[in-house]
Amino acid sequence: MVEFKDVSVTYSSGVDALNHVSLKINDGDFAFVVGSSGAGKSTLIKLILKEIDATEGTVTVNGFNLKKLKRRKIPNLRRTLGIVFQDFRLIPTMTVYENVAFVLRVIDAPKKYIKSRVPYVISLVGLAHKAKAYPEELSGGEQQRVALARALVNDPQLIIADEPTGNIDPALSYEIVELLKGINECGTTILMVTHEHDIVRHFGGRIININAGSIAFDETIGGANEAQ
Amino acid sequence: MKLSSINYLVGKGITSIWKNKMMSFASFCIMLVSLLMVGLSVLASVNINKIISGIEGKNEVIVIIKDDSTDEAIKALETSIKDIKNVDKAVFYSKEEAWESMIDDMSKEEQELFQYTDGDNPLPDTYKVSVKDIEKMADTTNRMSTLEGVDSVKASNEFADVLISVRNIFSVIALAVVAALIIVCLVIISNTTRTSVFARRKEINIMKYVGATNKFIKIPFQIEGTIVGIVAAVAAFILTMFVYRGAASLIQDNYHILTILGVDSLYSFKDIFLPVGVAYLIAGAVIGAIGTTISTSKYVKV
Repeated sequence: MVEFKDVSVTYSSGVDALNHVSLKINDGDFAFVVGSSGAGKSTLIKLILKEIDATEGTVTVNGFNLKKLKRRKIPNLRRTLGIVFQDFRLIPTMTVYENVAFVLRVIDAPKKYIKSRVPYVISLVGLAHKAKAYPEELSGGEQQRVALARALVNDPQLIIADEPTGNIDPALSYEIVELLKGINECGTTILMVTHEHDIVRHFGGRIININAGSIAFDETIGGANEAQ
Repeated sequence: MKLSSINYLVGKGITSIWKNKMMSFASFCIMLVSLLMVGLSVLASVNINKIISGIEGKNEVIVIIKDDSTDEAIKALETSIKDIKNVDKAVFYSKEEAWESMIDDMSKEEQELFQYTDGDNPLPDTYKVSVKDIEKMADTTNRMSTLEGVDSVKASNEFADVLISVRNIFSVIALAVVAALIIVCLVIISNTTRTSVFARRKEINIMKYVGATNKFIKIPFQIEGTIVGIVAAVAAFILTMFVYRGAASLIQDNYHILTILGVDSLYSFKDIFLPVGVAYLIAGAVIGAIGTTISTSKYVKV
């Protein structure tokens, strides 16, 4: 669950990135965050990851009050999250399997669990046959699926997808969102930042539109695929 | 932390040495040169200290015994002298030995002049005393001059003072040089590993996003730095052995220099290889670990 209560962020340069934003994303929700460049989408994600702190207001993520969260406890917060980036951010020197297993090693998971969980998650994103491949041997869509598997492997309560379709072919973009929808149906909360209106219109659901640091629109709409 | 995680981190540290071999090689070379400089400076300073101690040992105190002393009194005086804590050796030098030595040192003409002395030997019996700590020379000579049967004590306190100053100045310089070299070494190592850490900042960034603790991120780098440090230490030790043996034999070949200075020989490598080896290993490992800790800190903060 993510809750913003009257949150404002002003950067040291004097730029007001968010102005008194209040918003709640419940467990099991799927929400698109849309808005033009500089609207405040990235600031929203940075706040959830506790890369920055709110100048005013309180942010609560998966039960962590980020205002009170000590720096050394940040890893505990991040272990409840899965993150998918536009540029995939896979480690080039590691295979698909290692890139995914790496997350579990970081959180000190038992070896036996890693051995069973990683192949399962890789198969969920349809890449079982490419487990031994390196990122450079994969297409953009495949790399994003590996990133998705990595975000999913530690069974997070919330997945944040920051423009996950920004660097891949439009046809493959729908596949990625389909995968995210499937993950959401299993109970994981998904927050997807995008500027691709076609995708938003196609899938529908909760849409949060940020404009100039404020929420301009927060409603649930029906998607084109539901109409079909 | 679980044993499997420790194994994983150690393995990661070792494999990243190979994966980043150019950087590892650069760190190795810098570490090797730095360790060599520090090691050879320390060895030079240890040997120079030995030479200074040798010169100090040559600085004898002459205890002149009263002319009317009996053999028993002279023996008793030897015990009293040796009872003084700072006395290292006390060797009796009879008036006859002194006379013979004086005559031997004379030219033929002078010897002819002295052959008519009718065995009348004006020289005194003496003890040649060497002290352990030259800094306590004045106190020791004062105590000896108060002993029963002592006529007077002759010591070159000024020379002792010069030696003390030389040794103190040398110690300060040696310490400053070694400290400066260690700091330079740390700065260079941390800068070299900083480049290696910078090259892997993306990896570190991802680790932070998936919830890795600072410790988890730092450990492989520290293991990498420690291993490179240990390998450099082994190489530095082998090179030191060759350089030291070469330099020592060059100096020993001019053996009379050492004899004049009062030193039998320099330390042989066989006598010092254990402390040198251990010091190199510890220095290599510690400098490697600290260097990488300094350089990773900037990128690792969550």
